[in-house]
Parts: sequence; structure tokens; C-alpha cells
Amino acid sequence: MLPTTAALLAVLAALLAWPVPALLARARWPGRDPLVALLCWQAIGLAGGLSIIGALLVHGLAPWGHSLPEAAWSVLTAHSATEPVRGDHWVALTLAAVLASELVGVLVLSWVRITRTRRRHRELLELVVQPAPQPDTRLLEHPAPVAFCIPGARPLLVLSSGMVAELDEEQLAAVVAHERAHLGERHHLLLLPFVAWKAALPVLPAAERAHGAVRELVEMRADDVALTSLHGATPRRTLAEAIVAAAGGPGGGVPTGALAVSGAGVRARVVRLLEPPDPLSPAARWGALAAAVLLLLLPTALLLVPAVV
Amino acid sequence: MASLGELERAVMERLWAADGPVAATLLRDGLADRALALTTVHTVLSRLEQKGFVVHDEARPRRFSARTSREEHAAEVMREVLGQAADRQAVLARFVGAVDADEARMLRDLLAAAGTDDAPQG
Repeated sequence: MLPTTAALLAVLAALLAWPVPALLARARWPGRDPLVALLCWQAIGLAGGLSIIGALLVHGLAPWGHSLPEAAWSVLTAHSATEPVRGDHWVALTLAAVLASELVGVLVLSWVRITRTRRRHRELLELVVQPAPQPDTRLLEHPAPVAFCIPGARPLLVLSSGMVAELDEEQLAAVVAHERAHLGERHHLLLLPFVAWKAALPVLPAAERAHGAVRELVEMRADDVALTSLHGATPRRTLAEAIVAAAGGPGGGVPTGALAVSGAGVRARVVRLLEPPDPLSPAARWGALAAAVLLLLLPTALLLVPAVV
Repeated sequence: MASLGELERAVMERLWAADGPVAATLLRDGLADRALALTTVHTVLSRLEQKGFVVHDEARPRRFSARTSREEHAAEVMREVLGQAADRQAVLARFVGAVDADEARMLRDLLAAAGTDDAPQG
């Protein structure tokens, strides 16, 4: 009974560590519905972590009971094992503990570090920025065309004077709408686990791949949300023009910031705006969402169901 | 009542505009429209010192000056805020990163090509 559960969870973990992220990263449909794709990535990350830690726990706790809840209960109530505890059980339990604390620990550490850096950046910026004509927006005197937002309890949306000089009124509105979309939908929170786990699991290609994909998807999603609030005749073109002007503007000693989202990522965004792909059909959309939910339910069920059958 | 952040900015403006080191009393007089107590000015100055934006000399009374010029500060802000470390940690969301000259030309070509197609549709 138990070995099967552990084996099934291990198979699921292996699938989620390699082929599934590879397939999703290569698929073309995420560009047609970035939000659904983002939810699928979250499900993959969560289900992957749950199944690998679950597999180790189920195997390690096997001598204490025939299901994870039962075994966990008898350990917690200090009952002795009903079967001999072998070395591999201890190894599995240790690995489960190490992996769980590493994943959670790195997540917490990243959050602390990111929050501290954001506060420092806000301090640096608040001394030199001035209110911009756009509401809730600050202007930074600098020739390079740059726009960004710092999320948090007191978000800060900054446009450089170079950006204001380079773009017309409608294009600026598109930039501001894009940044607002990041803040409004809390994209930094969707990104955080992938930033953290890329740091925690540098050997896992899937972590790197997932991080890159999620970064591109939040940009596409922010573009989509921005488009819904723009009023001009050709909002798609306006936003594409703003991207091209900002990406190709004079550098002026500003770091390029082109780490994961290189030229290819910018081009994909522009092409997507100029030649919009058909949105996903409702059936495909709900199918993808159902798959994401199932992905989360599967390891949960494998961990809990043996207790009731 | 102005926030500390806003007062910090006002004090930095004064220090950047000044020719040399400025005493706290002079800063208070310069900000007379805000009717600040001298202790408030000192609080703001020590906060700015902690953050590394202001230094003081050993004259009596102490005189304060900005550590860098306004332009240097703006450049430093850009370097730090948009630097690689920030990028790696996803501290902020940048509208778009800069691309190299070839890539920029390719992007403009894309836009131009689409422009001719789209024109009839408006």
C-alpha cells in the first residue's frame, strides 16, 4: 500500500521536475492567455514541491503506519514504530526535512532580502523624484528612457525625464497602465517563488526555465491589462511603439537589465502586440485551469486518501 | 504636518542648492515657511546621514553638506536601482530593458512593417 503511494508521488515529482515544465515552456498557447499559463506554472511549482517532499515523507514514515496521516499521528503521539525502522527510512526523512526547510527557508530569505532592497531603493529615489503629471507617478531627472515600479505597501511608479521626452502622451499612458497592471495584480508575488527556487535549486533546469517563462508571462499579462484601459484608436500599436522607443533609446550609463528577458523577449512582446494571436477558446481555457487544479489535487489525494480507504 | 520623507527631500534640495556646507540653523531659516523646530531639522539631518546622503564637518556649530551632487545622486540611483542585483531578485518591475543597436533596429523594422499593414484599418 504505502510503497505504491511513495512511488506514484516520486513519479509525479519526476514528471514535474523535467518533462512538464519543458513542455509548457515550449508550448505556444501561453502567449494567447498569459494569466492561465501563470496559474499553471504556480500549480506546477506547488505540486512539484508537494510530491517530492510527500514521496520522501511517505517512504520515511512507512514503519509507523499505513498512510501518511496515520503514521504522522502515531509519531506525534510518541507511539513506537510497528515495523523495523531501516536506514533508508531515516535517509528519506532527513532528505524530506532538508528539502522542505530549504524551499521554505529560501522563500522567506528571498522575501526579506527583496523587501530590504526595495526599501533602500525607495529611500534613494524619494530624495530626487518629483510628482509627474500622471497621477501617482513620480518623475526622475535622467536622460535614459526608463520606467519602472517598486511594489510593496507603498508602491512607487517612476518615469525618467528621458522617457517623458521620448514618448507622446498616449504612449506614456500606455507605459503607466502597464506598470499599474503589475502593481494591481501583484505580479511580484507570482514571481517570488520562482526567483527563490531558482536560487535554491540551481541544478534543476526546470527552475531556471520556469523563472524565465513566468517573467515573460507577467510582462505579457501586464500588456494585456494595460490595453483594456487605453482609449486611443490603436492601443496595441501605441504600446508597441512605447516598448520599441524605450528598449532602443539612449542608454546613458543605465544598466540594460536584460538578464532573462533579452532581446528575444522584447521582440516576442512587440510581435504579440502587432499581430495578436487568437485568444484561447473557453473550452481550452477551462481545460487548462482544470488541469492546474487537478495537478494540485493529485499529490494531495495521494497523501491523504490512503488514510480513508 | 509634512512627512519626514518630504522634509528630507526639502532639506536635500537646500543642501544641493547651497554653495558649501550649511549650518542647521541656516537650514531652518531657509525653510521658514514650514516653521520647523531646530530639533526637527536635526532629526531629518541625522536620518539623512544614516542613509549616507549627508556628511557634516567638525566646525562648531556643525555644518552639513550633501555627499554627492544631485546629478551624481540620480546616476547612482539609476545604477543601483536598475542594476543586475535588482534584476536577479525581481525587486522591481521595469517596463522594458535596453537592447543592443542591432536588436533595436530589428524592433523598429517590425513596427514599420506592421504600420504599412495596419494603416487602412486605422
